[in-house]
Amino acid sequence: MHRATPPTPPLPPLPSTDRLEAPERPSRRGAMRLSALLCAGRLRLPAGYRHGTWRPGTAAAQLRNPPGLRRRKIFVEPIAREDWKVFRGDTVQVLTGKDAGKQAMVTQVVRARNWVVVEGLNTHYRYVNRTTKYAGTYIASEAPLLLNQISLVDPEDRKPTEVEWRYTEEGERVRVSLRSGRIIPLPLRQRWDGIVPEQWIDGPKDTTVEDALDKTYLPSLKTFEEEIMDAMGIVETRRAKKSYWY
Amino acid sequence: MAALCRRFTAALRLSGARPGSTLAGLPGLRLNLFHKNLAKAEPLHQLKFLHTTLSRKGLEEFFDDPRNWGEKTVKSGDAWNIKQLRGKSSEDLHKLWYVLLKEKNMLLTLEQESKRQLKPMPSPERLEKVEKSMKNIDLVVKEREIALRLLQTGHEKPVPGEWRHDFLGRTYWYSYKEWPIPWYLNKKYKRRKFYYLPHVDRFIRLRLEKSLRIKARRQNLERTRQKVLERKFPHLAVKSQSQ
Repeated sequence: MHRATPPTPPLPPLPSTDRLEAPERPSRRGAMRLSALLCAGRLRLPAGYRHGTWRPGTAAAQLRNPPGLRRRKIFVEPIAREDWKVFRGDTVQVLTGKDAGKQAMVTQVVRARNWVVVEGLNTHYRYVNRTTKYAGTYIASEAPLLLNQISLVDPEDRKPTEVEWRYTEEGERVRVSLRSGRIIPLPLRQRWDGIVPEQWIDGPKDTTVEDALDKTYLPSLKTFEEEIMDAMGIVETRRAKKSYWY
Repeated sequence: MAALCRRFTAALRLSGARPGSTLAGLPGLRLNLFHKNLAKAEPLHQLKFLHTTLSRKGLEEFFDDPRNWGEKTVKSGDAWNIKQLRGKSSEDLHKLWYVLLKEKNMLLTLEQESKRQLKPMPSPERLEKVEKSMKNIDLVVKEREIALRLLQTGHEKPVPGEWRHDFLGRTYWYSYKEWPIPWYLNKKYKRRKFYYLPHVDRFIRLRLEKSLRIKARRQNLERTRQKVLERKFPHLAVKSQSQ
């Protein structure tokens, strides 16, 4: 892919340029509401936030973690982001507890507490939808398990193994079971909006792949505004009055 | 690179642009097949290379296609990626911005109406996708502007500025503002104090001490937390010792 001009390197995310203050200023967001935090792209939770199985920002989370709540700190073994091995949809075996030895699929992962919720295992029973007249439905709800209480399962053996991240010859990063050397494939990840790319058919408002990937950019020494003015035939004959910058 | 190509060829479709009124400011005209009540197509020999939209729907543009009215979910494609937008010319980005803006207005109208009728909005993720696409276009334009400015002037920021003191002795980045009169005639500006008097030195020192104390407290907290972690998870202590 030869380009006429050297490609501009991807710039780091720009700080807010409407207030051009010192770049290293720490932002003070302690007073921000949690609901507003979700609107900002990156979620910034308070320092002593107690993570649970609920998603931060939902009503349940806000009920259990009101602003100003201070709870005893829970110490979690720090695991680097790239060392994380268990994902939603993986089959794991529970090693300790009531359901030791059973295998099931992971339904939820809470990395902040090294938790994994496995479908149907390590359950306790509780009543939901209770009203004054109705006692409620008696359901089984799964309790989360720590990472050292579960183990990934070899795909062919169906036995628990130790897993490591390694690189294939093509350069792809895969999980390899240490006992047999087999690759454990990553579970199928569904898109957040439910689209399956292989089965997609364009709607009336969708751009085709060819049109979207079509490169029409010709680098030039004109700013965006100047290029648009040229294209629309706008000629600016007014001259700006002298202004002072200080 | 192979993974990238595979991802591109995997049919990820995108939303936001109507086929008739977009792309590659060619002198030719593409008829917008989705709007039957279209005025006569403009002649090909025009000097302008950028076309404005030919659809004359008026207030109907604030509402979705009537076929989608009353639906619980409406299908929509992916948002525009930054990588795809970086390959588009300024005219394409300009047109896409307005297409996305009209779509956003339509979705916001829909959201407000569903709030009024106390019903859930069908497919609210469309709004997120449109906002993300518009933010990406803004980022791409900013990137190009910064690159050009760096090339021509060597400055990254559009507005010049400098470090200044305030009357409390704090140092901050003051960005210049545009004024119609010079500074020596500007009464409001002359009233501002960008210096501090000698009696403020004591408070600067106190502030420095405070910040150092906070930093020391934070470091001590980190150290005690690390010790507690090593006590609870002994293998971390072994690892840190071996390193």
